[in-house]
Amino acid sequence: MPELLDFQDAFVAALGGERSALSPWLAPDAGEAGLSVYRNTIAKGCVDALAANFPTVLSMVGEDWFRAAAALFAREAPPTGATLLDYGKDFPAWLERFPPAQDLPYLVGVAHLDRLWTEALFAAEAAALTAGALAALPPEALAETRLALHPSVRFAAFDAGLPSLWSSARAGHDGLELSDQAEALLCVRAHGAVRHRVIGEAETEFLRACREGQTTAQAAERVLTAHPAADLAPLFAGLIADGVFLDIDR
Amino acid sequence: MITAGLGLKPQHYDEALTCDAEGLWFEVHPENYMSAGGPRLAALEAIRERRPLSLHGVGLSLAADADPDREHLAALKRLVDRFEPFVVSEHLAWSTHRGQHQPDLLPFPRTHAALARIAANVGRMQDALGRKVLIENPSLYLPLTGHDLDEVDFLKALVAQTGCGLLVDVNNVFVSASNLGYRAETYLDALPAEAIGEIHLAGHAPDEGGSDLLIDTHGAPVAEPVWTLYRRLIDRIGPRPTLIERDDDIPDFATLMAERDRAAAMLEPVLEKAHA
Ligand SMILES: [Fe+2]
Repeated sequence: MPELLDFQDAFVAALGGERSALSPWLAPDAGEAGLSVYRNTIAKGCVDALAANFPTVLSMVGEDWFRAAAALFAREAPPTGATLLDYGKDFPAWLERFPPAQDLPYLVGVAHLDRLWTEALFAAEAAALTAGALAALPPEALAETRLALHPSVRFAAFDAGLPSLWSSARAGHDGLELSDQAEALLCVRAHGAVRHRVIGEAETEFLRACREGQTTAQAAERVLTAHPAADLAPLFAGLIADGVFLDIDR
Repeated sequence: MITAGLGLKPQHYDEALTCDAEGLWFEVHPENYMSAGGPRLAALEAIRERRPLSLHGVGLSLAADADPDREHLAALKRLVDRFEPFVVSEHLAWSTHRGQHQPDLLPFPRTHAALARIAANVGRMQDALGRKVLIENPSLYLPLTGHDLDEVDFLKALVAQTGCGLLVDVNNVFVSASNLGYRAETYLDALPAEAIGEIHLAGHAPDEGGSDLLIDTHGAPVAEPVWTLYRRLIDRIGPRPTLIERDDDIPDFATLMAERDRAAAMLEPVLEKAHA
């Protein structure tokens, strides 16, 4: 009697179209319909998970296009775990190679930004640094502090206005236009829900410096070297208000 | 008193939190809460403060010819510790195979070898969680050969070997009986009453692909023949926590509560009889 693993191998082969693999276990009255039900349920599970995680891509390409593409992706890169919450890490890169997506030049970037948002949604909880806690620090201590980013912080920079386009699409607007202004998108979930906002090159530089473990003074210097016109005080206050920094151990 | 409950959906968090129905409880798939953090976990925590909760696993793949995934089991254990559910359940089915996950509840030939493997897996699950779990009967779509045991005998053996309990999904019984050609009443009447710890009720639909199969869609109200079978089951075994499962085409909270209230009303006289 063949063992359970042989059956599983045969069943998965049959799901992939090789029905004969399963014939030792198929009752004489087994039609094609039963296997199709399993096949459709599996595909639907994957596609629904991708639709939940890439809502902006879905809104841009429409239901039919999205579901067809997502089903192809799911066949090439099935989930590796039972939790589909973060399924689709490789979907943006896959879209980049997907021939029908070549006519939609900003789709890959939009997928990438949807992914950042989802990562921020499910990241670990942590207390964020508040303006009050910061004000309690002596100025020289602040300069030497290495501010760590909150675990939910995600940001990505683009050499065009993709973040603005993504934000408009996410808010349900159509008639989208892509500016050639370099922008970045910041997602953070320090106060319950994910907040996102389009940020400029100076803020992005500041966040990068913090991510690399530099002190506040080094980060400020790095921003001013690259962007001499940057106004640091409001930039820093804005990031604090977003909750992008982890609370400091005192 | 825990009577009839509802599958909890994110779009209903606010109403679930404020609803004051007596005996109401909620069930979630732990896989939807296996994240490091996020607002869903926070919402579940708030609801759990007011209501009993059941964790109904869909991804541990107990009927695979492999040990349950350690990370998955550890994540489940963290949720059990955090939310202290009154029931933890899983399915008599598999979904993982050689490192890949098929998000469905797949069938297998109910051989003695399969029984030994699945009993060992249920044992591992119970050991890891430090508690008894309930195992749910699946919806079946494909007539297989090579079974050594019918499904009821298989479930009974699993109960005897592992000390697990059963979650009886009456809609799954109805769907499988229709698809594979047996009598749902005979199946239900043969289940060991004392092992049953929970009942599921859900909706099904005819196959859009045009076959004669019924599909366990969880996307429609509970069908009348399923209510009739439910009546028959609780008249025989007595009251059990009963869940309205809805996972697709989800209506508003009040519509689901109306179905849930129907189950609660059916449980009431059975409860009185049990306490008389
Ligand atoms: Fe069920």
